[in-house]
Amino acid sequence: MHGEYKTPGGKLVMADLDVRDGKLKDVEVSGDFFLEPPEALSGITGALEDAPANLAEEEFAGRVRDALSPNVEMIGFSAEAVARAVKRALA
Amino acid sequence: MNGNSSWRKYSWHLIDGGPQPPAMHMALDEVLTRYVGAGKRPPTLRFWRWSAPAVILGRFQSVRNEVDEETAGQLGIQVVRRMTGGGAMFVEPDNAITYSIYTPPELVAGISSVGSYAFFDEWVIEALRSLGIDAWYEPINDITSSNGKIGGAAQARKPGAVLHHVTMSYEMDAAKMLRVLRIGQEKVSDKAIQSVEKRVGPLRHQTQLPREEIIQRMISTFAKRNTEGGLVEDSIAPEELAEAKELERTRYGTREWTYLIP
Repeated sequence: MHGEYKTPGGKLVMADLDVRDGKLKDVEVSGDFFLEPPEALSGITGALEDAPANLAEEEFAGRVRDALSPNVEMIGFSAEAVARAVKRALA
Repeated sequence: MNGNSSWRKYSWHLIDGGPQPPAMHMALDEVLTRYVGAGKRPPTLRFWRWSAPAVILGRFQSVRNEVDEETAGQLGIQVVRRMTGGGAMFVEPDNAITYSIYTPPELVAGISSVGSYAFFDEWVIEALRSLGIDAWYEPINDITSSNGKIGGAAQARKPGAVLHHVTMSYEMDAAKMLRVLRIGQEKVSDKAIQSVEKRVGPLRHQTQLPREEIIQRMISTFAKRNTEGGLVEDSIAPEELAEAKELERTRYGTREWTYLIP
């Protein structure tokens, strides 16, 4: 399943994932965004892996936000943008 | 803040060497950033010369979402992944102008990450305009014109150093680009002009000047604006080259790195 969301004036986020037993599996988040440090990407995908597929968009965003330490800088996208791409993949 | 004065505190070096394969350029960027970060190399401006056509993916892009690999293979276009975020670029050796700036982070102290993109390329806009080319910065990271996008920048922040690199189109085979890169409608959803072909505005659409002359004007503009005594001509040191070759072998030239996000 594949979903995309572009933050207006910002960058494109893509979510590729499967759903098994009502949970997100094999989540991949990609796009032309900027993220420092780059290793933080695994924190984003890790926050979504195994999440219940029926969560609301804000709940997906909350999971992503909670998984990132304060020194992580997201440029051109946000936890909310990731959540929207995930919801579009699930739609 | 006066943008020029912070540049002029440094003695800038210039590397404008021979062509390198795409994966080697990726490795050189990492090594030269590391050397500047360790204080083993002065702040440096490097112009890239490409030895082969390539698609250069951003650090966080997925190969399958961005590239038609079968077409790329048929056309002999390599796919590599760089260390910085941002979008995929399609380059052919004589069609692109690519450069990197390696600097201590103090150059952009007090400037936001987003604001630093435009700051790093002010001299480029000045150089292009001095040649009669209409160009301006479109945040976050695009150099653009009324004819369409000229190029894009990306950055990485490492201990003691910032890397800012840019690829601009000199000429562009837009039809070929569209065969190789997958560009969906969502990407251009917030742009007034939604045709990708019309969004590309290579420098050649605005000027008859040879690519080399544009590069020379860029170098002279940088020297005049951003340095006190001119650019110091330099080259890649043997140990930098050796480290980059090793990094090309172990990372940037490997399938594992390119398919980090399949």
